[in-house]
Amino acid sequence: MSKVIQIEQLKKTYHLGKVEVEALRGVSFEINSGDFVSIMGPSGSGKSTLMHIIGCLDYPTEGKYFLSGQDVSKLNDNQLALFRNQKIGFVFQQFNLLPKATILKNVELPLTYNNTHSKNKKRLAVQALEEVGLGDRLKHRPNEISGGQKQRVAIARALINHPSIILADEPTGNLDSKTGGDIMEIIKKLHDDGNTIILVTHEPEIARYGKRIIYLKDGVIDRDEVIV
Amino acid sequence: MILQSLIIALESLWANKMRSVLSMLGIIIGVGAVIAIVSVGTGSTQQVTSRIANLGSNMITVYPRTARGQGGRVSSGSSQEKFSLELADYMEKFCPSIIKVIPVKQVNGRLISGDINVNTTLLGTNLDYADVNNYEVDTGNFISKNDDQERRQVMVLGSQLAKDLFEDANPIGKRIKVNYDGQVYMFDVIGVMKEKGGSMGGDLDDRAYIPLSVSMDKLTNSDFVTSYIAQAASSEKAATAVNELKNFMVKFLNDENEEQFRIISQDEILDTVSSVTATMSIMLGGIAAISLLVGGIGIMNIMLVSVTERTREIGVRKALGARNAHILFQFLMESLNLTSFGGILGIGFGWGAAYFLSQYGNWPMVIAPLSIGLAFGFALFIGIFFGLYPAMKAAKMNPVDALRYE
Ligand SMILES: Nc1ncnc2c1ncn2[C@@H]1O[C@H](COP(=O)(O)OP(=O)(O)O)[C@@H](O)[C@H]1O
Ligand SMILES: [Mg+2]
Repeated sequence: MSKVIQIEQLKKTYHLGKVEVEALRGVSFEINSGDFVSIMGPSGSGKSTLMHIIGCLDYPTEGKYFLSGQDVSKLNDNQLALFRNQKIGFVFQQFNLLPKATILKNVELPLTYNNTHSKNKKRLAVQALEEVGLGDRLKHRPNEISGGQKQRVAIARALINHPSIILADEPTGNLDSKTGGDIMEIIKKLHDDGNTIILVTHEPEIARYGKRIIYLKDGVIDRDEVIV
Repeated sequence: MILQSLIIALESLWANKMRSVLSMLGIIIGVGAVIAIVSVGTGSTQQVTSRIANLGSNMITVYPRTARGQGGRVSSGSSQEKFSLELADYMEKFCPSIIKVIPVKQVNGRLISGDINVNTTLLGTNLDYADVNNYEVDTGNFISKNDDQERRQVMVLGSQLAKDLFEDANPIGKRIKVNYDGQVYMFDVIGVMKEKGGSMGGDLDDRAYIPLSVSMDKLTNSDFVTSYIAQAASSEKAATAVNELKNFMVKFLNDENEEQFRIISQDEILDTVSSVTATMSIMLGGIAAISLLVGGIGIMNIMLVSVTERTREIGVRKALGARNAHILFQFLMESLNLTSFGGILGIGFGWGAAYFLSQYGNWPMVIAPLSIGLAFGFALFIGIFFGLYPAMKAAKMNPVDALRYE
């Protein structure tokens, strides 16, 4: 199986005035294509920081990160933007939909940044929304739908460019357990379809949807378990 | 990429309609002011120049210059005593570009009709005067050759003067008493002039016109005129005619320094008028430019607010693959849209203001395409200039920080 992600001795230090915060202090692991990995750990242990680096939104302070064999630290801003557009699908805890755009426009957004023709754009977005069961809500705005529906829109948006990995940072954190379960079923189905998934959560039941759990503590890996 | 940015920017402006309009206000007013001011400037100048041209574009007036001695007293042996009737004939003879010279003898007197008294200017002249001035009689006749030769005490009234003296009654055939220099003369009204309006040296409509011979021989008993009106062969030859006249007068009066006479041409007046209006236009244009500048600062302010407010949106867009340039263009397009819509509304507003003012001031409404282009171009420039800094600020944001922004 091909390695989608290789991380070696990754460190990230934030400077807050004179105070240095070591969010990651040497993290190494590999993730194969088609894996479903959950990352767990207490609040402040560096889970989001790790996700941002994997998602090409931030640079590590030290260490190496290869995405599909490409050394990400060697990429410039525009190449990073291209990677985010083509290889990464991000699902956030706060949904992060554009409040004034319709659901359809929200899902079309990643296509806007790779010059997809507007006719295809609409067709692909409608298709993605149908896959998450929202084909009848195209013209609605985010404030007109429920939290669970918002997260489904975000998942449709993350899928639209067929990314190499889907990164979900506490996707059920703002949802009740019933709705959260529904979202997890969608994510599980994505994995069954062959997508590579990294999921951050602090709920053990949610983490158990994954096939492997990495436990982070104080910026280092505490345990790395494969679930059988 | 530019097209997408344009669409995104339009959507966002539409979402914030009220704010967009408010922030456009400075640009609307600035552009409107530029267009209205330029229009008013050209319209009123056209009105004034056409009035002056109406007087006869090729007219030149020669006055004696009253040389001042010490203490402002008129020095004795004044050059006025050389401004004779014959001099008019000499001018015609020695200045080839001049086809006619009309002597004018002007006095101030009191006109009495019934119990109405009016102090006014009596202009002694001959029949060519009306001709050269493009000045026509409304009813009756102007002074004829016979009137002049036979020194008939006849009078033609300016339109306003006729109203003042006779209101709506027909003045022709009426007798008017003229009180001049302590003496009383009786005049018969033979005509009333058409309305002409103001001109150089006063309102023609307020005056009375009498035969030159009457004014010189009967009223003043003087051999000298107050001025000559010379007509150049054409308006193109007016400048040459002025030079010929000048040279002639210098020689005739032996007056190297041109101290004894003064020549005023239409061109000179037009020059003065246009330089005055040009100064006005520059001044008002400056004010308009400043209001555009203030509008631009308003745009920058609103764009900075908008960038800060939408920090999170910027983070999301970047997370989804927007490049820095995408974000830059999006915000640049937004400020450009603001200023160009503002510019279009401003053109409408300026047009309306110009129309209103032209109705009010009674001059032709002229909208120069150049002023529209200039104002609009300036608005676009301001959109780019003042939009660039906020747009760059947005483009340079770190995606993670932007996403974390609350
Ligand atoms: N932009 C930042 N500036 C300074 N400190 C930060 C920043 N982002 C995260 N941190 C710090 O890094 C540590 C890890 O944060 P984070 O990765 O968000 O943890 P988690 O997602 O596991 O709760 C925390 O102590 C947090 O305060
Ligand atoms: Mg977190």
